[in-house]
Amino acid sequence: MPRAVTTRRKTVNTLAAWAIGLLIFFPILWTILTSFKTEATAIADPPVFLFFDWTLENYAVVQERSDYMRFLWNSVIIAGGSTLLGILVAVPAAWSMAFVPSKRTKDILLWMLSTKMLPAVGVLYPIYLVFIQLGLLDTRVGLTIVLMLINLPIIVWMLYTYFREIPGEILEAARMDGATLKEEILYVLTPMAVPGIASTILLNIILAWNEAFWTLNLTAANAAPLTAFIASYSSPEGLFYAKLSAASTMAIAPILILGWFSQKQLVRGLTFGAVK
Amino acid sequence: MADTRNGRPSQVFRNLNSKVASIPMVLTASVVFVGGTIWTVIHSFTNSKLLPRLNFIGLDQYERLWNSNKWLISIENLFIYGVLSLIFSLVIGFMLAALLDQKIRFEDTFRTIFLYPFALSFIVTGLVWQWILNPDFGVQAVVRSLGWESFAFDPLYNQDIVIYGILIAGLWQGTGLVMCLMLAGLRGIDEDIWKASRVDGIPMWKTYLFIVIPMMRPVFVTTLVIIASGIVRVYDLVVAQTSGGPGIASEVPAKYVYDAMFLSQNLGQGFAASTMMLVTVLIVIVPWAYLEFGRRRHRG
Repeated sequence: MPRAVTTRRKTVNTLAAWAIGLLIFFPILWTILTSFKTEATAIADPPVFLFFDWTLENYAVVQERSDYMRFLWNSVIIAGGSTLLGILVAVPAAWSMAFVPSKRTKDILLWMLSTKMLPAVGVLYPIYLVFIQLGLLDTRVGLTIVLMLINLPIIVWMLYTYFREIPGEILEAARMDGATLKEEILYVLTPMAVPGIASTILLNIILAWNEAFWTLNLTAANAAPLTAFIASYSSPEGLFYAKLSAASTMAIAPILILGWFSQKQLVRGLTFGAVK
Repeated sequence: MADTRNGRPSQVFRNLNSKVASIPMVLTASVVFVGGTIWTVIHSFTNSKLLPRLNFIGLDQYERLWNSNKWLISIENLFIYGVLSLIFSLVIGFMLAALLDQKIRFEDTFRTIFLYPFALSFIVTGLVWQWILNPDFGVQAVVRSLGWESFAFDPLYNQDIVIYGILIAGLWQGTGLVMCLMLAGLRGIDEDIWKASRVDGIPMWKTYLFIVIPMMRPVFVTTLVIIASGIVRVYDLVVAQTSGGPGIASEVPAKYVYDAMFLSQNLGQGFAASTMMLVTVLIVIVPWAYLEFGRRRHRG
């Protein structure tokens, strides 16, 4: 090993990593713990860490006040739908950029990515108006389309990065054997790019799941996803921390579980384009 | 695609196909972003109130905008937040990555833990940190209960430092991702470089600073793009943590736009503010992006 690390150094490093890991994880842990406390224990001074009477009462109250499953279902449909729709639009585009690059390809990619840095409020009102005209306000369809548009640049960028690692000769060979464009993309390119596509899908589900600006502004009751669910607890329930924690835990649980079971794909998805 | 049946398609058809394949993406992106933005810019010169009207009044909206104290505070906050979160997430992210690169056991576990905050929405992040930074229940209360009675740490309730309270939450949420990108970059560095620098007796920190970091240029570009798009999204965090308070001390431009449009029914003012945001972003990003990506294109 090139960087021979001494044992003492290694211990220090490991301890530091543990300390930082705990520090970073603590807020999440604390939220989860608090969700099982009563309101009185939650604001006890000094704070109680583990030894309290665990209760599920907060979850019951939250569930009673707002139907968790409806918000969850909206989140699943919106995040999943927008990602799938995005993949359908992005695969052909990324294919053409990676395998049939023209002089303009880099420009188009750059321009697409730059839209990601523009303030979303700039297009909020026009989209709002279009939504009213088309009756898409507070519908899952409308939100799915908007989130697809918002995340499309990232999807195209990621797919482009993965596709470029696939040797063009293979596609060429398929074409020589008489594969049509559709067959080439569907049966040759896509199967080879499955790991990359999986990472892209995963990352975009998380991005769409967490998107708050659009979901809060374009929904009211019918299509509101979990971000709206949790936001509805922020102001009126300001001082009921145990219930707020229960609501937060319910909102983040699906994504934490998904993240834990797909660590590898997630990390690969998050490091897209970083390593050339 | 009849042409593809007869062996190699001609170059023309190949290019045509590629154009057709990009059309859905380019069309949606341009119609929504360019169309929406142009519409907003045009309407920023009108006196639209409750509904958009094409009644042009010149630069009046901009004059009012720059005379508004709330707007000036918003700009200042975004500037502080942007610059500091850029610096801190790069520095902390890189240092964490360098730490994890030291062959630490359970590296995968740490990486996932460091990444967890990123999987939380800004709304949840804001709520959690609103609580941790609450003087009655959070860090301040804990430290005081340990005996240090005069300890004060209440950034969210102090007008002068509220933006730093938001910054802490933002860094907590975003640094793990930066770390992950940096770690991937560090792994891409040839081990021989480390060997060579050790043989030459170059200290570790110098190797990082003058050899490794310059080699990681592409990673830094990717990271910058991601951090920049996060800075623009600070709206979510502010709404969840402080709603712009105390007073108007933690307002940010996106919230100014939103308030003008939907709370004070002053659409023209909101459009003018979002046009200003757009112009600012363009001034910062366009020259940099063309330098960065433009040069790489000519090279390869």
